[in-house]
Amino acid sequence: MTTASPALRPVRNERDRKHRSPLQRWYRNHEAWVLGASGVIGFLLLWELGSRSGVVDQFFFSKPTDIASAAVREVQLARFWNDVKVSVWEFVTGYTLAVITAIPLGLIIGWYRRLSYMIDPWLNLFNSLPRIALIPLLVLWVGLGVESKIAVVFLGAFFSIIIPTVQGVRTVDRRLLDVAKSFGASQRLTFTSVVGPATVPFITTGLRLGIGRALIGVIVGEIYAQTSGLGVLIVRANENIQPDRMFFGVLIFTFSGILGVAALRRVEHYFDRWRPVSEER
Amino acid sequence: MAAQTTTSGLAPSEQQAKRRHPQPPRMRRSIKNEPLVFGIIGFVVVLIAWEAAIDLGMARASLLSSPTRIWSAAVTDFGNGALWPHIATSLLEWTVGFALAIVVGIPLGLILGTFRRIGMIVDPLLSALYATPTVALVPLIILLFGIGIGAKFAVVFLEALVTLTVSTITGVKSADPRHLETARSFGASRWLAFTSVTLPSSVPFIVTGLRIGAGRALVGVIVAEFIAANVGIGFYISLNGNLLNASRVMLGVLLVGAFGVFVGIVIGRIQRYFDRWRPAIR
Amino acid sequence: MTEQALALRATGVRMEYRDPATRERLTAIERMDIEIPEGEFVSIVGPSGCGKSTFLKIVNGLLPATEGEIEIKHSKGGSDHAMVFQDSSLFPWYSVQRNVAYGLACRGVKRKEAFARALPFIKLVGLEGFESKYPYQLSGGMQQRANLARALTVDPELLLMDEPFAALDAQTRELMQVELIRIWSEAQKTVLFITHQIDEAIFLSDRVIVMSARPGRILADITIELPRPRDLDIKRTPRFVEYEEQIWRLISKQLSVGPEAAA
Repeated sequence: MTTASPALRPVRNERDRKHRSPLQRWYRNHEAWVLGASGVIGFLLLWELGSRSGVVDQFFFSKPTDIASAAVREVQLARFWNDVKVSVWEFVTGYTLAVITAIPLGLIIGWYRRLSYMIDPWLNLFNSLPRIALIPLLVLWVGLGVESKIAVVFLGAFFSIIIPTVQGVRTVDRRLLDVAKSFGASQRLTFTSVVGPATVPFITTGLRLGIGRALIGVIVGEIYAQTSGLGVLIVRANENIQPDRMFFGVLIFTFSGILGVAALRRVEHYFDRWRPVSEER
Repeated sequence: MAAQTTTSGLAPSEQQAKRRHPQPPRMRRSIKNEPLVFGIIGFVVVLIAWEAAIDLGMARASLLSSPTRIWSAAVTDFGNGALWPHIATSLLEWTVGFALAIVVGIPLGLILGTFRRIGMIVDPLLSALYATPTVALVPLIILLFGIGIGAKFAVVFLEALVTLTVSTITGVKSADPRHLETARSFGASRWLAFTSVTLPSSVPFIVTGLRIGAGRALVGVIVAEFIAANVGIGFYISLNGNLLNASRVMLGVLLVGAFGVFVGIVIGRIQRYFDRWRPAIR
Repeated sequence: MTEQALALRATGVRMEYRDPATRERLTAIERMDIEIPEGEFVSIVGPSGCGKSTFLKIVNGLLPATEGEIEIKHSKGGSDHAMVFQDSSLFPWYSVQRNVAYGLACRGVKRKEAFARALPFIKLVGLEGFESKYPYQLSGGMQQRANLARALTVDPELLLMDEPFAALDAQTRELMQVELIRIWSEAQKTVLFITHQIDEAIFLSDRVIVMSARPGRILADITIELPRPRDLDIKRTPRFVEYEEQIWRLISKQLSVGPEAAA
C-alpha cells in the first residue's frame, strides 16, 4: 500500500491474435497478396490518370489502355507472329545448345581440379565481360542473320550455366565423398550419387540466370542486326514514336522472363524434395 | 613373414586384405599456389594455340585475328591516342551511372526490406521490372534523353538499380530471426536492431548486388553505345565491326573484359573485408 | 600365445603431414600397434586432436599412412571393413532405405535386391517405417541408426565407428549406447570404436586403448572385465567408476599442458 514501486504491467505482444474479427484474420493471411495487387492496380491507375491529365507525357510513356489496345491490334498481324517465331527460335536454339554443352563441361572441369585452375582465367574473363560486346564479332563471323543472334544467346547462357556448375562440383561436401570412397564406390557411382545431386542446386541457379542473359542476347542481338524479331519491333515502334507498341514489346519480354523463371522453380522444387522446406520469399 | 601369418591367425596371406604404407620420405609434392600456376599455364597455352592456328593457316586471321595482331592493334591505337577518348567516355558513363544506382538503390532496398508493408506493395512491380531485360528500354531512354552522355548515365543507372535494390531487400530479409529476437529481448530500439543485426547480415547480399550490378552497368554502357554514340568503347567495337577489323574488335572486347575482371577483384576485396567475421569456407 | 583369430593388426603405423598454412611438417601419430581379435569390441579414447580419427581413416583406407602396415581379415561374402561416420554423413538426397542400401550399390548389387537386403538391417536398428523418409526428417539419433545400418548392410568383418554419438544429446547418447550393445551382440561384428567419452568407451568395450595427446601413441591398453550383458546401471558400480578414474588420470595428465586444459 505504502510502497511506491510501480504497478505491475501486463506483457503485451503486438501479434496477439485474441481480439481479431474474421475480416482482420482474412487480411492477415492474405496481406502480401492484397497489398501486392493494390500496388499493381494503383500503379496502373496513376499511369493512366497521369497520362490523361497530362502530368505524364503520353508522347513518351503512352498509357495502359493504349498499350492494351496496341496489343490487341498487334496480335492480329501476321508480321507480329513472324517476329515472335524468329525470337523464340533464337532463344530456344541458343539456350538449348548452351544447356547441353555447359552442364557436362562444367561437371568435367569442376571434377578435375587442375583442369579447372587452367580454365579459370578464361571463364573469369568471359564472365566479366558483357557477352553482348561480342555481337559485332559474331556478326563478322556468321553474318547478320539468325545465326549471330543464336550465338549471342548461346554465349549469354553458356557462361551463366557453366560457372555455377564448376563451383558446385568444387564445393561438394568432402565428408560425403569420404563416405563414397570408404564404401568403395566406383568413379561413376561417386558421380551419380554424390557429385550430381550436390551440384543440382547450382546448376538450376545457373539455368535461371541463363534465361535472363539469353533474353538480353535476343534483344540486343536484334537491335544490333535489325532483320526481324521482337527486338526489332521495339526499335521500330520507338523510331516511329509508337510508345504503346514499344511497351507491348517490352512486356512480352517481361512475361517470358517471369514464365521461364517460374518454370525453372518447378524443376528446382522437384530436385529439392530432399531438402527441408525453408520459408523462402 | 611366413611365421608372422601363422601366429597371427589372420587369413592366408593371398586372401588377406593388406595395405602397406611405404611412403616416400618426401610428401606428395604440392605446388605452391596451384591455382595461379595452372591458371597462367592455361592462359598461355590457349594464346599460343591461337597464334599457331592462324600462322599455320588453320583459321583466317581476318576473322579470328591473333594475339600478336591484337597486340599490334593495341600498340597503334594507344600510341596515337585514338583509344583514350573512348575509354575515358565509357569509364565516365559507367562510374556516374553506377554511383547513382548505388546511392539510390541500396537505401531504397533497405527501406523496402525493413518496412514490410511498403515492401509488399512494391513487390510484384519490382519482380516484373527485375524480370524485364532493361536493355529493351534503352531505345526509349535514348529517345527521352537524346544521343548525349545523359542518356548513357540513365541507361547505366537503370541497368544496375533494380539488381542492387532487389539484393539489398533479400539481404534485409535474410537477417536471422534469432538475432533479431536477441536484440528485441534486450530492449534494443528499432534503429539499434537495424544497425546491429539487419545491416551486418545484409552486407553479403549487398556486395553480391554490387557485383551483379557492376556487370549489368557495363552491359548498359555497351548497349547504349552500340545504339547511339560517336564515342566510347562500345562505339569503338561496333565501328570496327562494321569496318571488318577483327583485331580492333577483339582489342575493344578485351579492354571491356579486363575492366570487368578488375572490378570483380575490387569487389572481392570489399567482400573479404566485410566478411572477416565469417568462418572461411575451407 | 593365444591362437585366437585376428580381425585387425596394425604394425608401426606412423602419420606425418604438412600443415598447409605454415608448411611445417607435423606428426599426427607417432606409432600405433594394435591387434584386435575377431568379435571383440575395442575403443580408442584420447584427448581431441590426438590422431584417433586419423588412425581410423588410415584403417579405412581413406588416408595413406606415412609408415607402417595395416592388415585386415578378408571377408568372403561381405566387405572387409565399413565405417560409421560422425553426424550428417547420410546422403541428404536419398531416402533412408537408399542410404542404407548404398554400400551394396557400391558393390554392384542391383537396386531392387539392395533395397530388399537393406530391410532387415533397417529393422535391426529400429527404423522400421522410416524407409522412405529423407535424412532431414529424422532426429539425430535416428540418423545415426541409419548410418549404422548402412555400414552393417555390407556385412563387414570389421566395423569402424568414428565418434558416432558425439553430436547427440546426453540422453539419446546413452540410449544409443544400449542399442549399439544389442545390435553388436546380434550382428556379432568386430568393432573399433573411437570416442572422447570415457564412460562410453568403458560401457561398450571389451578393451579400451588410451592415446596420448599429439603426437599420438598408445598410453595404455585396458581390458574391461565387466560382465555382459551390460545395462546402464553398470555405470554406477564401483568397478566401472574405478575404470573411469584410471582412464581419466591418464588423459588428464595429457590435458594439463595445452592452453585448452580447462575445456
